[in-house]
Amino acid sequence: MFNKENKPDKFKNAETIIGPSIKVKGNFQGQGDIIILGLLEGSLKTNASVFIGAKAKITANISAKDIIVNGEIHGNLKIKNYLSIGNTAKISGDLQYGEISIDKGANINGQLLMLSEEHKQVEKIKDETKKEIVEK
Amino acid sequence: MHVYIYDDYLNNGRYNKIINRLEIRLTDLGLNGKIIRLGGIKNIKRTIQDEIKLGARTFIAVGNNQTVNRIIGTIVNTEIYNDFQQNTLLGIIPIGSDNSIADSFGIKNWEEACNILLARRIKKIDLGFVGSHYFLNQASIESLGTVLEIDDYYLEILDRGVINIINLLNASLSNKKDPIIPSPYDGLLNVFIKIKNQEQSYLSAKKIKVTNPTHKLIIDNSVEVATPLEITVVKNKINVIVGKERMFE
Repeated sequence: MFNKENKPDKFKNAETIIGPSIKVKGNFQGQGDIIILGLLEGSLKTNASVFIGAKAKITANISAKDIIVNGEIHGNLKIKNYLSIGNTAKISGDLQYGEISIDKGANINGQLLMLSEEHKQVEKIKDETKKEIVEK
Repeated sequence: MHVYIYDDYLNNGRYNKIINRLEIRLTDLGLNGKIIRLGGIKNIKRTIQDEIKLGARTFIAVGNNQTVNRIIGTIVNTEIYNDFQQNTLLGIIPIGSDNSIADSFGIKNWEEACNILLARRIKKIDLGFVGSHYFLNQASIESLGTVLEIDDYYLEILDRGVINIINLLNASLSNKKDPIIPSPYDGLLNVFIKIKNQEQSYLSAKKIKVTNPTHKLIIDNSVEVATPLEITVVKNKINVIVGKERMFE
């Protein structure tokens, strides 16, 4: 799975990287894995995985399959599978997740809610329906 | 029938020897055709259109990036191009410097270009489009102060560097460490932002609006245009003759 000290191997082929000198504003949507090392304001949505670097500053609601958080987030997170929070992470917002791990030193202000199996199934059906519509 | 379009700068005496050798080589290979000199015609679009009507299907740009871009824009803008798109081909014979497009096609020099024309390996690829210009390789601009608008969001770049918006990779932009290799078949533009401290960002999009009040956008290292401008990609727009060593599948 994820190695929290470094970016996991799977992110070597990330389709999008937002570097430390980049500021993104608006509703950012991606198909593949996304690495954010800079600033993001608005919202972030992907069906794949997200890596948030230690110096990243995000003011946005995030929806993704998996996420590793090492930076600062002001916003709610809805993560279908695995939410990994590193020791440098600072999160102000509510967290919804399938599974979670939190490192010592992480700072979280918000509610933690584990998605039920039922909810995961509903999300899965929604995704499949969306995919079918897009394919048609 | 082949139509060779020579750029103006080839009239310079220092290219005489190369041109003579090129023409002999083309004749030896049975590839000789009509020669048009850009300097000698007033309306390149009409000339190319007339040649298509007369049966010309292969246009060969003899020159550099600037020559190729001028000819591409003209060919695809002719009123009858769409009727003949399946059959119209573009080849390149690079002469002199500034030939990154030929590099992308796997054409290193004019001698190799002759063999590649003979082998006639054809690929149908996308073209980038910005303002009134079509481009093959990339459009680039200084990063500091540039705003890129994509779909429902925009990017501001806060440091000095360069933004390359790529349709087709060339040797100067190629980096084997990059996880994504731009493809000229996917209908997408790849944005690579390189900041001076080696930091790199990238993403892809179908349409990008570029705004920078102080710097101009440079298309294929040959044309400068002021922003704001919208850059798009036109899928499967042109058939090109390429070498085995091209920088795409």
